[in-house]
Amino acid sequence: METTVRIPAPLRTLTGGKDEVIAAGATVGELIDDLDKKHPGIKDRLLDEKGVRRFVNIYVGEEDVRFLDGLRTELRAGDKVSIVPAIAGG
Amino acid sequence: MKRSDARVLVVGAGGLGNPCALALARAGVGTLRICDDDVVEATNLHRQILFDDTSVGKPKLDEIARALDGMTRVELERTRFLPATARALLDGCHLVVEGSDNFPTKFLVCDACAIARVPVVHAAAVRLHGTALAVGADGAPCYRCVFEDVPRGAVANCETAGVLGPVVGVVGALQADLALAMLDGRDVGGWFVSYDAKTDVLRRAKMHARADCAACTRRIDDLDERRYKG
Repeated sequence: METTVRIPAPLRTLTGGKDEVIAAGATVGELIDDLDKKHPGIKDRLLDEKGVRRFVNIYVGEEDVRFLDGLRTELRAGDKVSIVPAIAGG
Repeated sequence: MKRSDARVLVVGAGGLGNPCALALARAGVGTLRICDDDVVEATNLHRQILFDDTSVGKPKLDEIARALDGMTRVELERTRFLPATARALLDGCHLVVEGSDNFPTKFLVCDACAIARVPVVHAAAVRLHGTALAVGADGAPCYRCVFEDVPRGAVANCETAGVLGPVVGVVGALQADLALAMLDGRDVGGWFVSYDAKTDVLRRAKMHARADCAACTRRIDDLDERRYKG
């Protein structure tokens, strides 16, 4: 199943400047694997050996996957995935 | 609480602190306590809207006090928000708006507000992207629930990555809006708003408290400076 993934500005260097891309997968983990095939390097920016990096949040709809089933969170038709990194500055 | 009776601590008189302080002052907040120890640089002027060419080289606090003169009562604290100054800065404040440019300060403000049970609105902006997070007086969900701990190593900020002037204007106004909502008694705790200036899309999500969060479960009960090394 294909899902739209919203890409934040700091990661758009990896998606050719696109703010939304399409990737496939039945779960968030599979989606990120497919995202990394299409946009190499993005998985490393999102995950470490423990799972989702501390300073990155991944949402399915408006729910943080940490409060769902993590990388095993299943995706449904029409879901949108958003990536929100921590930022400092002003 | 009546806005005119409120004292709000503004952490940082920079790109976010400028529009946020202006909006709070114009909205009738009685007292703004502003902490900062920096001077105005020419490179600040595109986004720090209360300063002008004559401000360059002068303390930001003096310039922001000049700009806000007559709008509200202003208390100037010539210091950064540090483990050693946090408690005194928070004393008597009803709410905090945090617009610092570094993660250690953001986590320190988070912890200090959780300990003191003072609501806080965090905000940040880099390049074309900005965020604001409102945390109620009950402390949950808090900044640590969302971002856990101080990032180690190099991270982008306005100094290294730049920021578009209007982005901090939008995010600073959002920060003020959330602050006013809390002062007015509206329940916006946990609201996380992000703004993307490339697409002009604004999104809002409701954050959740993390069960093992060290701040809002009160496991952090001091401000040990070793915890705030970037």
